[in-house]
Amino acid sequence: MPNDTIIFASIFGGCALGALLATVLKGKAMRVAWAGFGCLASIAMLALGVGGVFAESARHIPLWTVPHVGPVSFSVDHLSGFFLIVTALVAIPAMIFAAATTSDEKARKTPLAPLSLVLLASVALVILAADVFLFIVAWEVMSILIYLLACGGPKERPGYLMLAVGETGTLAVLVALLLLGSHAGSLSFQAIQASSAGLSATLVEVVFALTFLGFGVKAGLIPLNFWLPEAYTAIPSPIMPFVAGATLNLGLYGIMRSNMYFLPTTFAGPGVCMLLVGAVTALIGILYATIADDFKTLLAHSSIENAGIITTAFGAGMIFLSAGHKAAAAMALIAALYHLLNHSIFKTLLFMGAGTLERSANTRSLDEMGGLLKRMPWTGLFVLVGALSISAMPPFNGFVSEWLTIESLLRSVELSSMGLKMVFVAAGAAIMLTAGLAVTCFVRAFAMSFLGISRSEKAANASETNRAALSTMAAVAVICFVLGVVPTFAIPALDRVVAPVAGASGSTALVPTFFHPDTDKLPKKFTAEFHDLGAQIGKDAIPARGMVVMHRGGKKNPVVFAMSTPYMFVMLVVLLAALVLIVRLATKNRKVSRRPRWDGGVRRFLPEMTYTATGFAQPVRVLFEAIFRPKVSDRRESIAQHFRMSIQRKREEIHLIDRLILYPLAKATKAVAAVFAKMHNGRINAYAVYALLALIIFLAIAAAL
Amino acid sequence: MSGWIIKGLKSGVVSTHYPDGGENAQGVSPGLPSPAGGVGVDTPIGRCPTSALKAKDGGAALDKFRCVHCHRCDRNVEPTIPWDSSYEWAEKRGKTPELPKAFQRSTHIRVLDAGDCGACLNEMKLLNNPFYNMHRLGFFITPTPRQADLLVVLGPVADHMKTALLKAYEAMPAPKKVMSVGTCSATGGVFEDGFMTSTKLEDIIPVDVVVPGCPPPPLAILHGLLLVTGREDEIRSDATARPAADSSGKEAGDA
Ligand code: SF4
Repeated sequence: MPNDTIIFASIFGGCALGALLATVLKGKAMRVAWAGFGCLASIAMLALGVGGVFAESARHIPLWTVPHVGPVSFSVDHLSGFFLIVTALVAIPAMIFAAATTSDEKARKTPLAPLSLVLLASVALVILAADVFLFIVAWEVMSILIYLLACGGPKERPGYLMLAVGETGTLAVLVALLLLGSHAGSLSFQAIQASSAGLSATLVEVVFALTFLGFGVKAGLIPLNFWLPEAYTAIPSPIMPFVAGATLNLGLYGIMRSNMYFLPTTFAGPGVCMLLVGAVTALIGILYATIADDFKTLLAHSSIENAGIITTAFGAGMIFLSAGHKAAAAMALIAALYHLLNHSIFKTLLFMGAGTLERSANTRSLDEMGGLLKRMPWTGLFVLVGALSISAMPPFNGFVSEWLTIESLLRSVELSSMGLKMVFVAAGAAIMLTAGLAVTCFVRAFAMSFLGISRSEKAANASETNRAALSTMAAVAVICFVLGVVPTFAIPALDRVVAPVAGASGSTALVPTFFHPDTDKLPKKFTAEFHDLGAQIGKDAIPARGMVVMHRGGKKNPVVFAMSTPYMFVMLVVLLAALVLIVRLATKNRKVSRRPRWDGGVRRFLPEMTYTATGFAQPVRVLFEAIFRPKVSDRRESIAQHFRMSIQRKREEIHLIDRLILYPLAKATKAVAAVFAKMHNGRINAYAVYALLALIIFLAIAAAL
Repeated sequence: MSGWIIKGLKSGVVSTHYPDGGENAQGVSPGLPSPAGGVGVDTPIGRCPTSALKAKDGGAALDKFRCVHCHRCDRNVEPTIPWDSSYEWAEKRGKTPELPKAFQRSTHIRVLDAGDCGACLNEMKLLNNPFYNMHRLGFFITPTPRQADLLVVLGPVADHMKTALLKAYEAMPAPKKVMSVGTCSATGGVFEDGFMTSTKLEDIIPVDVVVPGCPPPPLAILHGLLLVTGREDEIRSDATARPAADSSGKEAGDA
């Protein structure tokens, strides 16, 4: 189709041309090429994605045949369409932001523009790839590009760490995909999908374990997520919003693709595994986010948390599916996809904010910020929107998806197996604790950077960023708001993605029976308003889709849950306005006197005396001491043993995963290496013996064969 | 578990009756040499360490804002100096308007230690115990001057505390009152010519009520609190006092 040609030419040709131009051009022209071609490719992806989601069935586009490998092809189905849309929504503002905030000096040092444009193309390639060969190639290109970006910083460790862990994951994925391919007799995803029903239980378990581990690396799931905070702080901040918003998703894309399409959905095991791993990841992620001092590290840990929430919802969906609860499954999957979309959006926004803060205040440490709202009011507003969204506060998007997630976890009462119910209870408790801690975390992140007084010289001299960067942040903030107020527009689209897999529409199946269009107890005109998850109440008042998200429980708990974010938003506005009005009226005759702040009466009030970010997180540190297990060491200095001059306290927190998994592993490796090191004793006759032994063994084998 | 409840119920009300009646339990006041009883001609004025005694009309007069109850004037003197064991020593100063009615029966106090030796602070603390129990009269301590209606200053206002004092006074919202507690903040007391004080409280901020005593007993402070909130009419010292042993008050101040 010519249509496809134009679109693919815009995506891949646009990125290539943009990368080329951005390498050649300098200054403003480079920025324009960067942003322009980035947007062009993203818009083409958006078009392709929308077409994919709303098409009836998957579309396969064969490309060419690679010798020794076979035909390679693209395909656009519902799932890849959805991920294309998410990537495009993130990429359009993120590319403009990147172009607007990269200084000329930085652009000269690292080729950010070409790298990021090629990264965008590789992300599209991963999503579009429809066979194992192309998928792995695209995946590797993407990994290497992120590695190159992470190496731009002053330290090499984050990049190497990421590459090492990432390659482990890729290997696991490759083995799993090849296993599937050999079973299907073809490397194309279409064939793998078609033969999924015939997989043996053992093979399903092995493939699930390998793909979950392998894709989990990119998604930031435990245990292989220790690279993520380091890499996220090392990647240059202009491009970080895109990396955070688009590439973490690919891990989740892999998990979803393999579990929804490649593996049969009749086993409960993978779902339980994802549910538990997701819940634990979420909890650990948010705990470390809450105590992080570096703003970007905080956001990285919070990405881990959100990946955990998405995986939990997805796992819940897979469990429901295996137990035959199609409607509940559809709802849980919708929750997972919606949260994924939302997380990409608000994490992009927050990383834009973090990058702006780093550029303006010249620090990433929350302890050194403070009082920035006065200097950067707009950035402050947008970061506030991001923080409210991520802490699941209405009227922003995080609220809707976390509400749906928790509701779908509650649907577990319908399951018949007691064991599964217990798993859901545990996961649900962890997710709710996570949601609570997320509020603490982002109250801290916003308050410690923007409120109070500046706690360092650098913060006191910060200034607002440029208009282009601000307008991209504004655009993303608006998306957060729109997705939070009118989710009833987004949910039917998501329903299209999950319905073929779940075998039921999450929308129609969840309308209460007494409102169901088929019922004849109520007038047809009335029940017509209730035909999907976004029930159409109020259609006459507002000429648009329904404004209420409602769904009911199954037979065992025929409760109807309903939530209407637009009405809630209207009520919030009305109540807030009323409050302001009442306060105004009540205090109309009041005399206001202004006095300096009460500082405890000290002679010289120092910024360090105010509440710091570290101090704010202390309660969480103390409460979860059993998890953090800090190493506290005191150093005392005294004169003549009796006169204490100073006590220095050092507190070191080693990440749980490092402590429990990595360090013992490293220790074991070193011990093994030490044994082998003994063989290298430097004596020439010993080496001669080794050579002789090797020769004998070889000859023996050759003789035996 | 409920042992303390039963014990509490058994012991009944132990709080002082003041201000509904006088309190004459032993040791509630260190007392002052009583000028009313006529301080004799032969009173050894020179013995007084804080110049509380001054020659007047051939006899001696007492400046109660300076006396530190040291009993030096009382030792080996014949006839003994009459000793006044009351405690209602507080006096009003200044003409700032009364606190509004709403604040009178619920007064929040910021206690400011402007370099006191700890004695006044200790007596202030006693007001919180079950015997004096100032909460029953609607007095509460608050840590921040922003919420305080009354600033209680203890100590001679050391130079280093002057900034803090001014800042605290500034930070208080109107209507506000200031009460000076103890000889030190009233006149400088034994620190009058000290190297770390330069002036007394009344020269720094307007003071409404001064409570003398070194330290003033809790009841004297309570009397001051009632005066400063404009609740003099509640004080009925003439009502039947609680029967108690004879209070000489001397042992409290015996040097
Ligand atoms: S008791 Fe001491 S301070 Fe008081 S008047 Fe007599 S000598 Fe002076």
